[in-house]
Amino acid sequence: MNILLLLVWIVVLFCVVMLHVAYATYFERKIIGHMQVRLGPMRVGWHGLLQPIADGVKSFFKEDIVPDNADRPTFLAAPIICLVAMMASLAVLPFASGWVLADIDIGLLFVFAMSSLASYGVVLAGWASNSKYSFLGGLRSMAQVISYEISMGLSLVGVMLMAGSLNLTRIVEAQGDSFLSMYLFPQAIGFFVFFISMLAETNRVPFDLPEAETELVSGYSTEYSGMRYAIFFMAEYIGMMVMAAIGTVCFLGGWHGPFAVPWFPALWFVGKIYLFMFLFIWIRATLPRYRYDQLMDLGWKLLIPLALVNIVLTACFKALFG
Amino acid sequence: MQIQYKPKRNLLETILQTEILQGLGLTLRRLFSKPITRQYPDEKPQIRLGFRGQHALVRDPQTGDCKCIGCMRCAMVCPSRCIRIRPYKDKEKYGNRRLIQEYKIEALRCVYCGYCAEVCPVDAIVLTEVFEYASYDRPSLFFTKEQLLANWDRFIADKGIRAEDYVNPCWRPRGLPEHTLPAAKRLPVDAEWSGEEQVVGRNWKKHHGANQAV
Repeated sequence: MNILLLLVWIVVLFCVVMLHVAYATYFERKIIGHMQVRLGPMRVGWHGLLQPIADGVKSFFKEDIVPDNADRPTFLAAPIICLVAMMASLAVLPFASGWVLADIDIGLLFVFAMSSLASYGVVLAGWASNSKYSFLGGLRSMAQVISYEISMGLSLVGVMLMAGSLNLTRIVEAQGDSFLSMYLFPQAIGFFVFFISMLAETNRVPFDLPEAETELVSGYSTEYSGMRYAIFFMAEYIGMMVMAAIGTVCFLGGWHGPFAVPWFPALWFVGKIYLFMFLFIWIRATLPRYRYDQLMDLGWKLLIPLALVNIVLTACFKALFG
Repeated sequence: MQIQYKPKRNLLETILQTEILQGLGLTLRRLFSKPITRQYPDEKPQIRLGFRGQHALVRDPQTGDCKCIGCMRCAMVCPSRCIRIRPYKDKEKYGNRRLIQEYKIEALRCVYCGYCAEVCPVDAIVLTEVFEYASYDRPSLFFTKEQLLANWDRFIADKGIRAEDYVNPCWRPRGLPEHTLPAAKRLPVDAEWSGEEQVVGRNWKKHHGANQAV
């Protein structure tokens, strides 16, 4: 019985997240359009509201092309690895108190593990496509994710120290429900490092080197078409949402808000995720891409030292005052 | 000359990345500004004076044929050489006058410079304001004399004015005094068009905004 209920919840979460992914693409196009004084999608449905559904149907019925010289099994598996890894990390996210599929004590570590696993999908896609653009995209993705994984992990160590737990629900509860007790304020440096690493980890502008359109056509997904391309896209957007959720849980106080919402306690959590998504899109509309060496410079020479300083400071404060 | 690639920043500006914040502020302001997109098939653009679109041969109301006198000036001036005229003479009926057997324009080669309309001494050819005449085949864009006359008839009918009243400003060469022009080219166009008070570029709205509803 319990397992059946869990299955129902999984299906509900899957559907909700997939709808969000579809409409995240719509809002991204719309917001970037308006920021560039354009309209964005307008033709399918009222103000283009059915555009994501039209896109989904289109990519579903498109031909799935596999290049002759591609490593066929790896090529076919790569997008699935990406998507599964990203979806798996949804399981540990606490949407409200008790609204979590798997309340495990290593939640944060699990999310890290899954997001690094997702980059395997990208690397394998780049390697299996047997094309120079895909290969370069895969290489870049590997280097980028490895460097930024470190700074991201280190930036959250401060949060772990303060909360004394890796369980995401526990981290939210440790922050309390007042505005000033959010970890955003004591962990300002950590948040700064986390935010930049989050952009890099999800391959978003200004760190979208693995899929830099201007140089690499479409990076690791160049050879993909139809539904498999769409799966990469979904994985990317789910990755954005997972990172936004981690940011919300670790720095913005999770589901706590100015007042409790009776019927839908996850409202504040969802609202904060939307805020993060807007930030992602806003930054994409504003900033140009980093050069490759600048990307590495920023990761290794600025973010990792900053995160280490943050850990030392947090640990000292914790030892002296708490 | 000294080029300053990067404006100088103090420490506080570097830490807070004020330039990035400025950029973000700009995009956020644009988010709430009105888009300039025109929803084309629903919203047609306003065609301004002097627009050069589909070609047409003006139909002479007296003869019912084109006004062309076969002087070949348009064919000579055309930079893309897309006009082909074959005149003939009917000595018994019209004396030494040239008549037009064939007048062809390859619209696919035309660059829409409007020189042909400007140079024509009798205002026989015109680039009308019609711009939607895309086609799936080439032959329908190789205009013959009959097609060009039909273009004119359609254009006048759509515009809903008498053919005699229509004045295309491209017929009047710019920057030439009135007395140097042939009779047909002394047309009543704006002072702005005749050349002395020509307004170009951004000033257009300033000069015309008052008397033309945009």
